Amino acid sequence: MPTDDGVSDAPRLSIVVPLFNEEENIPLLHAAVRDALTSEWSWELVLVDDGSSDHTVEIALEAAARDPRIRVVQLSRNYGQTLAMQAGFDQARGQVVVSMDGDLQNDPRDIPRLVAMLESGYDLVAGYRERRQDRLISRKIPSFVANRMIRAITGVDIRDNGCSLKAYRRETLRRMHLYSDMHRFLPALAAATAGARITEIPVRHHARRFGQSKYGLSRIFKLLADLITITMISWFRERPLVLFSIGASVALGLALGSLGMTLLGFGGLRHEMANAYVLPAATLLWILLACYLLTLGLISEVALRRARESDPELLPLATERVF
Amino acid sequence: MPPTCEVSVVVPVVERPASLVALYREFSAPLREAGRAFEFVFIAYPWFRSLTDELRELVQAGEPVRVVEVSRAVGETALLKIAAAQATGRILVTLPAYLQTEPAALPALLARVDAGADLAVAWRWPRRDAWINRLQNRLLHMFVKPLSGGRIHDVACGVRAMRTDVMNEMPLYGEFSRFLPLIALREGFAVEEVTCAVHPAAMTSRVYGPGVYLRRLVDVLGLIFLLKFTDKPLRFFGLVGLLLAVVGSVVLAVVFVQRVAGQGLADRPILLLGVLFVVLGVQSVALGLIGEMIVHLTASQRQRYRLRADPRRPSRPEAA
Repeated sequence: MPTDDGVSDAPRLSIVVPLFNEEENIPLLHAAVRDALTSEWSWELVLVDDGSSDHTVEIALEAAARDPRIRVVQLSRNYGQTLAMQAGFDQARGQVVVSMDGDLQNDPRDIPRLVAMLESGYDLVAGYRERRQDRLISRKIPSFVANRMIRAITGVDIRDNGCSLKAYRRETLRRMHLYSDMHRFLPALAAATAGARITEIPVRHHARRFGQSKYGLSRIFKLLADLITITMISWFRERPLVLFSIGASVALGLALGSLGMTLLGFGGLRHEMANAYVLPAATLLWILLACYLLTLGLISEVALRRARESDPELLPLATERVF
Repeated sequence: MPPTCEVSVVVPVVERPASLVALYREFSAPLREAGRAFEFVFIAYPWFRSLTDELRELVQAGEPVRVVEVSRAVGETALLKIAAAQATGRILVTLPAYLQTEPAALPALLARVDAGADLAVAWRWPRRDAWINRLQNRLLHMFVKPLSGGRIHDVACGVRAMRTDVMNEMPLYGEFSRFLPLIALREGFAVEEVTCAVHPAAMTSRVYGPGVYLRRLVDVLGLIFLLKFTDKPLRFFGLVGLLLAVVGSVVLAVVFVQRVAGQGLADRPILLLGVLFVVLGVQSVALGLIGEMIVHLTASQRQRYRLRADPRRPSRPEAA
């Protein structure tokens, strides 16, 4: 859960970095962040260990012992990047939170620009990797296709969802609750849940220096399922009954279609009259589906209503316009 | 309220009940030897009175034994939860109501909990009991062991020791107490295994009725869903629905092409099969969507990760 806002010595800026087996990168990361952020902002670096099996924790704790601006959050097992980020967000104390990868592919020198952009009136500023230093076939092409799909379907105009370097206002994060693999859809989720004003700026991107890249090509089905979910959340979170009514209408249309063919058959216009049980039965099945979908839609309304009662933060952020 | 003690031994009396007095005498001996203050809590249904009656002599002799009754058949998980709430010890030990392992397992398990493990479970190894028992165990673990990433070798052994808070914090219900070590791993607790010998009394062959095996199968399916898909139901229902809908669509496409080619539609019962598959597929996907909607709407209500309690402990339990 988010820590108290009223802490007097809380820094203005929190940088959240999930780490999974990144022992070589921590000192370099620390140095890069220290050099990139000069005096004007007080900051903290939240290192989240996602159950690493190497010496990530020890090295992070050592760094924290030398620099009080470093805080180490240790997860009790490997939960994956999404929950590691959520844990870091929950621990972050700054009014502005920046997330980035621990593998030094992002450059902390971009942080001041992200923050400046955020301050100029946005709730989320995403970085996009202008000259991406990754393999073409296994990384860039799938990523291009996925980003195009996410953009087209969710309507959130971000060209690089996979870049971890992003800046958020604290209030935006308070309305976002990450689970599963949602870190890939953060801007869409922020738009859907917090009503965030989102923009993007180009950021630097370096090739990996140490360690292994942790993604692969074999994730299409999972990505598709998550994409369907985020689409549903984007468009129908406030009115799930509409979604299911659309499905029910299609099923009802098919029912009417097979009913029509049945009647035509009974009318003697076709030779199918003799065995006229198949089409009526198909009609019944389609009607069944329509009823089922409508019922599910009603259930989802119940779930929405119950969630609303217990969680006022389901409402999006509202900001007064400054002229 | 009885005086507090160090170790609470909880015995849910649910199946294969044997003499509880013999159980108490065998398993209290090593605890007494190790000089630990302990209590035994037997938790049973009223219809096991004939068994729990024997315990009266122990209570009257001043032994630290308590008997708790639950009047409704609520399942083993609920019994354990109730007993854990009653337990006064810092460490909770669960024992099945029959002699499953040699009592020497207890001090070893307690030592692991003292050393910082959240949960220590007995691993009956080497198995020297009847081949039929080992076969059943093998079959169960074929499904269950991969779910733990190969880290738990004996899920079915009910001899376990843990910090009492672990049982209270664990999101357990239904029959999932059977799979306690797996759920504890998922919750981020440090789970360790201790090998121990099978009790001679447990070596005789055990064959259950078909209903029991069917229930176990359902439990395992429930476990797989719980561990893999509770936060992403669409990945499960979507896959099932997609397969069904694809089969149905292929059937419908073939029938449609044949209709265009001049063959009738109404005398083709296979049309119904195609429609049925599409309907089932859509239903499955729709269920998955509802699941995702509920997960999303309730996402703020639960913290999905656990932070390491003691930051200086290594993140991996040392290989046992």
